[in-house]
Amino acid sequence: MGSVSEFFQHFLNGLTLGGIYALIALGYTMVYGILKFINFAHGDILMVGAYIGLFVFDFLRGSTPLGPWWFFAFLLAMICSMVACGLLGMFIEKIAYKPLRKATRLAPLLSAIGVSFVLSNTAAWVFGTQSRKLEYPFDNTPIVIGSGLNGVSVTPHQILVLCASAVMMIVLKLFVDKTRMGKAMRATSLDQDTSKLMGIKSDHVISLTFAIGSALAACGGMLIALDFKVYATMGTMVGLKAFVAAVVGGIGNISGAMLGGLLLGLLETFGVAVLGIPQGYKDAIAFGVLILILLFKPDGLLGKNEKEKV
Amino acid sequence: MKKAMIFVLIVLLAVPSILVAGGTGENGAKSVKIGFIGPMTGDNANYGVLCNQAVKLALSEINAAGGINGIQIELITEDSEGSVEKGLSAIEKLSSSDKIVALVGPVFTGISFAVGARCQDEGLVMVTPSATHKEITAIGDCVFRTVVSDGLQGEVAGAYFAQALGYRNIAVLYTKNDYSQGLYEGMKTSFEANGGKIGVVETCQVGDKDFKTQLTKIKAASPDAIYIPNYTAEMAQILEQASQLGMTIPFLSGDGFSNPDIYNLAGAFCDGVVYVAPTQVEESTAYVDFVNKYAATYGVKPDSFATNAYDATRIVADALATVYKNTGKFDRADVRDAVAATKDFPGVAGVVNFAENGDLIAYQGVYKVNGTTPEYLGAYSVIDGKLTKVN
Repeated sequence: MGSVSEFFQHFLNGLTLGGIYALIALGYTMVYGILKFINFAHGDILMVGAYIGLFVFDFLRGSTPLGPWWFFAFLLAMICSMVACGLLGMFIEKIAYKPLRKATRLAPLLSAIGVSFVLSNTAAWVFGTQSRKLEYPFDNTPIVIGSGLNGVSVTPHQILVLCASAVMMIVLKLFVDKTRMGKAMRATSLDQDTSKLMGIKSDHVISLTFAIGSALAACGGMLIALDFKVYATMGTMVGLKAFVAAVVGGIGNISGAMLGGLLLGLLETFGVAVLGIPQGYKDAIAFGVLILILLFKPDGLLGKNEKEKV
Repeated sequence: MKKAMIFVLIVLLAVPSILVAGGTGENGAKSVKIGFIGPMTGDNANYGVLCNQAVKLALSEINAAGGINGIQIELITEDSEGSVEKGLSAIEKLSSSDKIVALVGPVFTGISFAVGARCQDEGLVMVTPSATHKEITAIGDCVFRTVVSDGLQGEVAGAYFAQALGYRNIAVLYTKNDYSQGLYEGMKTSFEANGGKIGVVETCQVGDKDFKTQLTKIKAASPDAIYIPNYTAEMAQILEQASQLGMTIPFLSGDGFSNPDIYNLAGAFCDGVVYVAPTQVEESTAYVDFVNKYAATYGVKPDSFATNAYDATRIVADALATVYKNTGKFDRADVRDAVAATKDFPGVAGVVNFAENGDLIAYQGVYKVNGTTPEYLGAYSVIDGKLTKVN
């Protein structure tokens, strides 16, 4: 690696890539934290959210030129997409996971993988397999610090992604820790039967958890689609990476997901740029890290080392 | 009695085949045989069937017009099923027992390598309508093709970048697949032969979305230009992210860029990209006539390989006619020489000339994107190492 500016550019690249992972990892980790269940369809709900957002946004902005209205339209599209995906998440929970709640732990996991295939294949069938572009609702001209070869650039979109994941992390944390509903969620997470006895409608809590998780996915999907385009399998790889990020940070831990995401993004970038790991093995870095974490710190970096209750 | 019957039967069966085999001889020839090898059944039968129909169409026209001095050209079709083993047994049969004087096909590259080597041993001329691998014609002087070699694009690209654009140092970001890697290697050879230097070489995988690491490395090396011979999904990401990194280095690409989808995905980021792709072909009336006739006869339209097969068959027939006129027989060596001597043959896919090695002499178009519209800069070829513009 050459100059200092190149180093900073790699650092920024890694950080913003990590921001994307963190954004999705939050949804994974929240559902896991409450239900102890990994929703492998998360990445595909994200894809559905991106498609809904794309159609609503394109409809709203019509042929108007880029302006403040675009940004407003984008926010409206995001709300529509989050609501729709929230409902979709609840629906999926009702038909694919709820009937399996008393089954072995493996059953809902397999069911989730099935849902994931159904969603991505249906999307490929309905929308086709070509990528579609979601336009930036703002001027995404990069902000260049320095000039020429020494310039380091960052786009408004990258900053937005980082801010969005930070804000989401804080809001989620506050929601789970401080609100009544959050308390109900934590109670359900500790012991479903006892929380029922305490008057918590645990079915509602679980539904709500899925709704929030899926709405988060939709929001993340739209923000990612700005950079990575919209296509039927867009959630697959990024979803897996986010899952790794969540595990690295300590699955179930909201700040851990953020940390894991950023760490993964930086590791991938510097693994290739500095350590000289061939580009083709970039994805292997993420899964290599997963294996190491599972071997040496199975609860993740910020995970609590909880003993199984007997 | 029974034995006698069998004897008579054998004689009856054998006599015509002796006659036909003798048909390639000097006197009293009534027909001459050519062969075709292609996948007629199996997963890839669509390619073989379309080409085979084109060969049949060409021969039926030639035979209806009196053949070669009254001698009919007979076609023996062998099914390769898309496998090298079947292709090899097909060529054994065609060459030794059917005694063909020329082969149209095989349709696939892999089989063409195996069959081509056998044809070379037998001194039998082979014209493939569809095997595009660069090395096919390197088998020997009996192998020809009426399809553009994969190597041409890279060759023209390298020469154009060095000679016309004056670049000395190019960075490359290619996808790890046969297509992209093939183009990169072809361009590299040609560009280096022109005194250029390939600086940073970065790779990616099909389906990658984030190219910032590679682009940041390339940016730091500040090359004259970046060559990205990939598919649209990757190129759109590369162009957009390069702009996000504040890069102003020009981009170069290959025929993947001619897919208009790139403008939906990358929009204004496409501005200024120079790419090498097939030339703009005007649809000649001969081509339209061929397509109509083919569709009327077989109920489907020919693909480009079938069009090449039609031309290949007519070139072979032309060669047979020349040889017969000059020698009164069909000698394999003479037929090969006559095919090699083909000059300015008016094929339906365009004028056909063969290079020394048996490749189709063809051109590549060079395009430059202005806004979101490609501008045609003309057709180029590389002749004796020199970039030559063709009119």
